[in-house]
Amino acid sequence: MQMRPVLLNSCARAASAAEARFRIDVPIAPSRATRVVALDEESEAAVRRVAEQDWHHARFYSVGGEGLELTRVDGATVPLVDELDGVDATVLVASSDHGAEAAATIGAACTVRGIMTAGLVLTTGASVAAALTALRPHARVLLVPAEEEDLAELLRAIRA
Amino acid sequence: MLRTEINELLTQTGPGTRMGDLFRQYWMPALLAEELPENDCAPVRVKILSERLLAFRDSDGRYGLIDEFCAHRGVSLWFGRNEESGIRCAYHGWKYDVTGQCVEVPSEPETGNFCANVKLRAYPLVKVGDILWTYLGDPAQQPPLPEFEFVRVPDEQTYTSKRWQECNWLQALEGGIDSSHVTFLHSGQLNSDPLFKGSKGNDYNKGDLKPFFEVADTDGGLLIAARRNAEEGEYYWRVTPWVMPSFTMVPPRGDHPVHGHIWVPIDDENCWVYTFDYHPVRPLTDDELSHMHAGYGVHSENVPGTYRPMANKDNDYLMDREAQRRGEQFSGVKGIAIQDASLQESMGPIVDRTKERLVATDTGIIKARQKLRKAALALAEQGVTPPGVDPEHHRVRSAAIVLPHEQPFQEGVAEAVVARPGVAQTTV
Ligand code: FES
Ligand SMILES: [Fe+2]
Repeated sequence: MQMRPVLLNSCARAASAAEARFRIDVPIAPSRATRVVALDEESEAAVRRVAEQDWHHARFYSVGGEGLELTRVDGATVPLVDELDGVDATVLVASSDHGAEAAATIGAACTVRGIMTAGLVLTTGASVAAALTALRPHARVLLVPAEEEDLAELLRAIRA
Repeated sequence: MLRTEINELLTQTGPGTRMGDLFRQYWMPALLAEELPENDCAPVRVKILSERLLAFRDSDGRYGLIDEFCAHRGVSLWFGRNEESGIRCAYHGWKYDVTGQCVEVPSEPETGNFCANVKLRAYPLVKVGDILWTYLGDPAQQPPLPEFEFVRVPDEQTYTSKRWQECNWLQALEGGIDSSHVTFLHSGQLNSDPLFKGSKGNDYNKGDLKPFFEVADTDGGLLIAARRNAEEGEYYWRVTPWVMPSFTMVPPRGDHPVHGHIWVPIDDENCWVYTFDYHPVRPLTDDELSHMHAGYGVHSENVPGTYRPMANKDNDYLMDREAQRRGEQFSGVKGIAIQDASLQESMGPIVDRTKERLVATDTGIIKARQKLRKAALALAEQGVTPPGVDPEHHRVRSAAIVLPHEQPFQEGVAEAVVARPGVAQTTV
């Protein structure tokens, strides 16, 4: 027999403003680990500024060459693979084509590990076609053109 | 997530609020033209941006949108008599014209000028397409009329319906920007809905359930593109334009008419969803129209004589667990419109965005909120006209297209996402 809504458990009541105050109010856990990688020099400046804000478990890097090593904002160099351990999201930031090779390396490493990857392309007038082509197969989402503020906003929204 | 004060900024649209001021920069649908079908017909109560108004069509065919309440003692003019070029209050007979001007006060001497000084707040009400549009902002800043293609094509090529949705406008709009829900919530409809089925694009849709997304900024809003694998070396792109503040279009499927929505805040806990379907180059067929009337596609079947959906909050949206189990509908709720409405209303009248746990694929929503917030603040602080006011921004289209891997979608759809009179939509 088809059940029909009655009083207390019907949508009409359950979705009311009055019921909203009974929602369970437990602090929401932040994202476990987010990695933000600047793929070229211009992006590095933007990423450094955003890194200064208050984050839960996000870490910020720059990268050069093939992309097998990352450079932390404090200057220390670390192998890419070590930094991807237990990561739930990686955000790649590009402003030019200089980091295309690194983008492909990091993107592929994230894809293999099932790490959600996002790409932000900060437009600065420089050509970004190669960076886009390198990012596209791996970045589940690409924001083009993006601004520095978009990076902070994306990180806040995902509770990085 | 959003901080409480940003959530409030974005969701409150009454007079004097920042988002309310933003909405008051645009022409907005106030009602469907069919609601005022003839001269001297019954007036209609219209609540929009938390203002209670009355729409009527006078003896000369002029449309008026005025304060709902009589200046004398506050009676609703909805009870009034619409006759001889004005609406006459049912209580003591004061009469107003479409500009809100009081033109007769029977108790006062006819020769006196008492009524010349009585004027109700009134807004313009203009028919463009099947919609009566209004503008609630500063008359000195009134922009040109809307140019959206669905209201500019010949009558026989377009159809608009509307439905009442019992939640804040923003969570409803976010559903139109959130392309990633289509693979789940609406999955059952691609095969079965007469206004959707039978396109090559549907096969690509079903063949690749994990789309990639690209979000691109535009002058009037955003382009949100979903990318799936097509044939070897090609991607299938579905591109949704968002024009600020609340217009979106669904990417086309085959030669089906193209559809989209405009969300209009009634108050902070209710909105109207205007839903249109049009074909850029041919009349809608009788079959298509009858399906639209019956609530297929993105339309809804409404309670006769109203704009409230048959399946609504009070009857649990006629949820059918058997259909859910059989997979006919992912959520057990019938029809795309009600699938969306049921879930968006279930979030509560105004969802608490401090509690969200967004993911990277929500980037379109994140970016849209940012653009709304920035536009509202730029307007409040520097008087900057927001994106989407300029009718140039209205000339957009959604598109579905197959492109080679190496081609950026912005380049590939550059022409396809512009409304071009007499040119068919770009579709797969
Ligand atoms: S209240 Fe309207 S005429 Fe008196
Ligand atoms: Fe939907």
